[in-house]
Amino acid sequence: MMPELSYLPAALFLPLFPLSLVFNVLFARLRWPWMRALLLLVWPQIGLWLLFETGTPVPGWLSAWAIFTAALYGFRALALREVGLWTGFMATSAWALLWVPVAAGMGESAVRYEALGFSVPLVLLVFLSAGLEQRFGAAYTGLYGGLAQTIPRFSGVLVMVVLAVIASPLFPGFFTLLTTIVAVSPSAAFALVIVWLLWSCAGARLLHGLIVGPAHDEPAADMTLPTTWGYALLLGVLMVGGVYLTGDLL
Amino acid sequence: MSLTLGQKLKIRSMIYVAAEPIPFFWPMRSFIHHNPLHGLEQLPFQEAVAEGSRLFHGRAFLTRVQYQGYLRDGRIDAAHLAASIDTFVASRPAIPGLDLARWLMALLTETDRPVALQTTLADVADVRATLAGEALSADKSLPPDSLAEGLRTHLLGDRPVYEAVDALYGTEIGANLDELVVKSCLDFFDEGQSVWGMPGRERGFFTAWRDVARRNIRLFLRGLHIKRILAVDKTPEGVIEHVMNALGIPEAHWVGYFTRELGRLHGWAGFIRWRSTAKHYYWAQRYPGDLVDFIAIRLTLALALLQERERRDVAITRDAIGTAVETHTADAYLRNELYSRQVLPAMAQRVEHAVSRGRRAHIDTVFAEYAARKRAHEATTQASRLRNLAARVADGEALHRLADDGVAALLRVLRDFEQQEGMIWLRAMESRAMSRLLGGLDLAPPAPREKRPFVQALFCIDTRSERIRRHLEGVGDYQTFGIAGFFGVPVSFMEMGKGSETHLCPVILTPKNVVLEMTAAGPQDEAALTALEKAMHELKESVLAPFVTVEAIGLLFGMDMIGKTVAPQRYNRWRKRLHPKKPPTRLLLDKLSREQADSIVRAVQRAVIAKAIEQEFELAPESITDGMIRELREAALGKHQARTLLADELAWDEGIERGFIERLRNAYRINYSYAHVQLERLGRIGFGIDEQVNYVSQALQAIGLTEGFSRFVLLVGHGSTSENNPYESALDCGACGGNHGLVSARVLAQMANKSEVRRRLREQGINIPDDAWFVPALHNTTTDQLKLFDLELLPPSHLVYLDRLRNGLVSASRLCAQERLPSLELAPAARDPAQAYRGAQRNALDWSQVRPEWGLSRNAYFVIGRRTLTRSLSLEGRAFLHSYDYRLDAKRRLLENILTGPLVVGQWINMEHYFSAVDNERFGSGSKVYHNVAGRFGVMTGNLSDLRTGLPSQTVLKGGEPYHEPLRLITLIEAPFEQARRAVEGVVAVKHLVHNGWIRLMVVDPETSQVSVYENGAWRLSEHPVATEHPILEESSAS
Repeated sequence: MMPELSYLPAALFLPLFPLSLVFNVLFARLRWPWMRALLLLVWPQIGLWLLFETGTPVPGWLSAWAIFTAALYGFRALALREVGLWTGFMATSAWALLWVPVAAGMGESAVRYEALGFSVPLVLLVFLSAGLEQRFGAAYTGLYGGLAQTIPRFSGVLVMVVLAVIASPLFPGFFTLLTTIVAVSPSAAFALVIVWLLWSCAGARLLHGLIVGPAHDEPAADMTLPTTWGYALLLGVLMVGGVYLTGDLL
Repeated sequence: MSLTLGQKLKIRSMIYVAAEPIPFFWPMRSFIHHNPLHGLEQLPFQEAVAEGSRLFHGRAFLTRVQYQGYLRDGRIDAAHLAASIDTFVASRPAIPGLDLARWLMALLTETDRPVALQTTLADVADVRATLAGEALSADKSLPPDSLAEGLRTHLLGDRPVYEAVDALYGTEIGANLDELVVKSCLDFFDEGQSVWGMPGRERGFFTAWRDVARRNIRLFLRGLHIKRILAVDKTPEGVIEHVMNALGIPEAHWVGYFTRELGRLHGWAGFIRWRSTAKHYYWAQRYPGDLVDFIAIRLTLALALLQERERRDVAITRDAIGTAVETHTADAYLRNELYSRQVLPAMAQRVEHAVSRGRRAHIDTVFAEYAARKRAHEATTQASRLRNLAARVADGEALHRLADDGVAALLRVLRDFEQQEGMIWLRAMESRAMSRLLGGLDLAPPAPREKRPFVQALFCIDTRSERIRRHLEGVGDYQTFGIAGFFGVPVSFMEMGKGSETHLCPVILTPKNVVLEMTAAGPQDEAALTALEKAMHELKESVLAPFVTVEAIGLLFGMDMIGKTVAPQRYNRWRKRLHPKKPPTRLLLDKLSREQADSIVRAVQRAVIAKAIEQEFELAPESITDGMIRELREAALGKHQARTLLADELAWDEGIERGFIERLRNAYRINYSYAHVQLERLGRIGFGIDEQVNYVSQALQAIGLTEGFSRFVLLVGHGSTSENNPYESALDCGACGGNHGLVSARVLAQMANKSEVRRRLREQGINIPDDAWFVPALHNTTTDQLKLFDLELLPPSHLVYLDRLRNGLVSASRLCAQERLPSLELAPAARDPAQAYRGAQRNALDWSQVRPEWGLSRNAYFVIGRRTLTRSLSLEGRAFLHSYDYRLDAKRRLLENILTGPLVVGQWINMEHYFSAVDNERFGSGSKVYHNVAGRFGVMTGNLSDLRTGLPSQTVLKGGEPYHEPLRLITLIEAPFEQARRAVEGVVAVKHLVHNGWIRLMVVDPETSQVSVYENGAWRLSEHPVATEHPILEESSAS
């Protein structure tokens, strides 16, 4: 067997284009939030297990392919309006990047934490997306803007979760990208910065289509206070975990 | 292509007509309150607001929930509401089994959302079936013709073509176009804010823009081929015709189309419209531009943006869009649903997927499913709203029993009622406000006075004067009057040290007379701080300086910021001390005689010549003699041919001397024609003695003050003080064109104190005693301070009373601040008058204060009558009070004057507040927090938006809810009914405002104690209601 083929199973779970289609089709078919959450948590971990099982260093061209996949899905996320699909694309884009630290020689446990750091905010987004579907019939941007006015607590949590997804400072994704950029060649680092920029634009567009603008006529119940605190706690844990596990700052 | 003059004029007149609904927008330096629907005032109020809502996409009434809140607070007349419902029900056929009045009352008072929905696919049978719990009939297929027809009407009509394209293709051409047009306007209309100005502006808006746009690389890189469109014609009219033809708009639709185009950026359009008519406006004279230019630029950019999309297979003409709708109806329907945000959320993803793939079979499948689901959704929603309403009147069974025609009739009634709902709430709210005012009126004739009051004070009719007047009357023997803040004297004022004139009168008047401010103090050296500030300002405006100076002097700005923020009062007091005080000034008020004017022109010419010699030949002033100057002047005017003394002194040859004299003639304008111009200008200065007598007499008679003059007659103008506030002039005197009212007070005081004027007034029967002295004063509405001016002119005999007067004024100011301040605070605290006064002063100096005062918010009433009518009432600063004694006005001339000027201005103010409160985003200007000053004449939200025209949310809203209660101006005239009616009928503008329902008019006849109210096109007569205790206070405590 060609050594390149040994990476194929891992490329399915740490999705590289076009194998990434499998994850995205599966994710789109699953409508139940808990199943989606489970998929988001487990899928990359399987990929990492398969990758480290090969026991061979990741060749450079695979890193380039991974960055290309991340950029492709980041770019496509710019135009997406359905929050569920957006979540799947961002997951694909983020997990593809895990090939880069592995190629740079980072240890297995550290990369697993990084994968978890990417997955947990996406899991939170899945539940928020379900909340939007419950309230408005769909989690779709540009249809019912002005959530900041109608459901301010929900909007606040949504903003923070999206910031975590797009690897804003103090969240785990931020440290993952930072350490990876430092570890790779200048050209790869430049490409990673572009991917990061695409994520930021995609996140800003998503929030713009939901949070700002005139309020929607239909009344909707805001997130309860205990649930808000629950999300806040999880985000806090995520930050501390990010700083401690992926940022190595504590 | 070249249009004939006739064709050009036709396009110009079309745009003129199209712009009529667009209200003027005046530069904010002198903010003018105006009715946002002023252009529709020829229509009845109800029709005008419907048209206004269509044009400007704004809401004309509060929401049902807000009115329900007012009803709970007792601010809406429940009986009036019920009566309106009964009237409505009586005009409709009954629906057997339903008590419609109960249904409608429940709809108004117990539901929070519209009940009758505009369904597009579900019909009455579907709604009834859903109500009955039956399945919808499956065999119903959509007639494609009617669907296409509906889409065509919705998309085309008089909507701009790009709006239809946006609705069908999800493009954002409208938003992009607005952005490009705003940028073009900012470039051209800038009044000194930008460091680098647009080139060629003096040639006009379109021409200057055309030159820049043809070379604009950024537009070219965006794929906008502006150059090709502009190559068609050099004139804006030619370009307009080309674009309209290219888009396929029939000429019959052009006016409506232009109106829609102007309505998209109605702030900019209103500003350009005003500017093109303001002949005296410096910037308009220098850089001309009008709406024809604006439309030409807009259409050029629109066509370029559309053509850029055409390359991606997008239909961009009216015909092509019509064909697309005709041939691909399902596709067009789904696209419109998706991009107009009407799509069922649950199917949004599938619809988007289908239209983006563009496969006809797939689209048809999705359309069939979508149509079925939408139909079911509409029927379910409609049925649910009806059930909910029926449950509230416990009439669910009756609803269930209704057949198809019954449901149809019910929906029709509900739909019609909801269309009229706003007016019903508004009238009921006004009814409550009217009865509360009427209940508190005192119709008893004023008791005769034993002695004259200590002070008589004339205040502006502004609502904020009501409070200070009430408190002043409460602290001593003060008699107050209300008069328009320009005191009836239209003045064009030239302030000392400024080169331009300011019109101090309502904008509906144009002053003929100029008043100059002058001082006896000599020229002063510029204070060090002033020079430093100028230097800083220049540094800030420079392109490169900030990069190199920020480290060096940034700290200075930082200290300024800290001072303003931490201790605004102390810091501002300290800063004020660093500036020189303005020297005492006098007003040049009297008309100049021909000799005086000649003498002034000669003096100016001599001063110019002296300066010219000094500058050109560096001669010291002591070396230049009067004789030299006289000779040179005569030489320049051609009256002196011999060699001049100066030529001898400086040993000039003939050529140098002739050259200098020539320069004096041409460059320094020492010639007859310019002297003539100067004489004409001087002719505008001041008022003749007859005019002065007339103005003083008219002012005093208008308010009924013709006898019993006090020792002090205060003429109190008003103004405001605030920091960091582009809307500062909105808080100043509207009757003075958005300026402080002090100058107007000084003008009238100076006239009234003149012995010759008094002598002539005596001949008219107005006997002002010699010891009566008119003193100008300023009421600072932000701090409530009352400050006296021109005290150096006060006769010595009056000085002994000055302390008593000052004490009275200070007491009134403090009490007024104590009453007013709690309403400005989020958590009102109890304060003694002195603390409240200090708090108000802090507001005026705090640069972070977004609401230094409420201004004219909550205005509701306009009372024309004697002060005794309302003196016992606390009107809470909600009433314009114009003093008027009908007994002095048998010919109705005074009343007609009050109606023509002050009432019309009051109505503008009222309507501006009304619409800013009901829809602050569209008719108001949104939150101040996001405002940026644009071009030094307006504000925008963010860095690029339409000019924000109305009032900011901080002026009319509190905690997101209206602080200003939106009511039409309730006007009360105290006069015999026939006298008042004939006066109203005699002023055409006011007659239309009353008949069309823009003003609610009441007449109280003091001789019969009867009240006449104009309602629904007729006068309704009733007895004056018995006074309730503190009727207005009840209302304010409820708030």
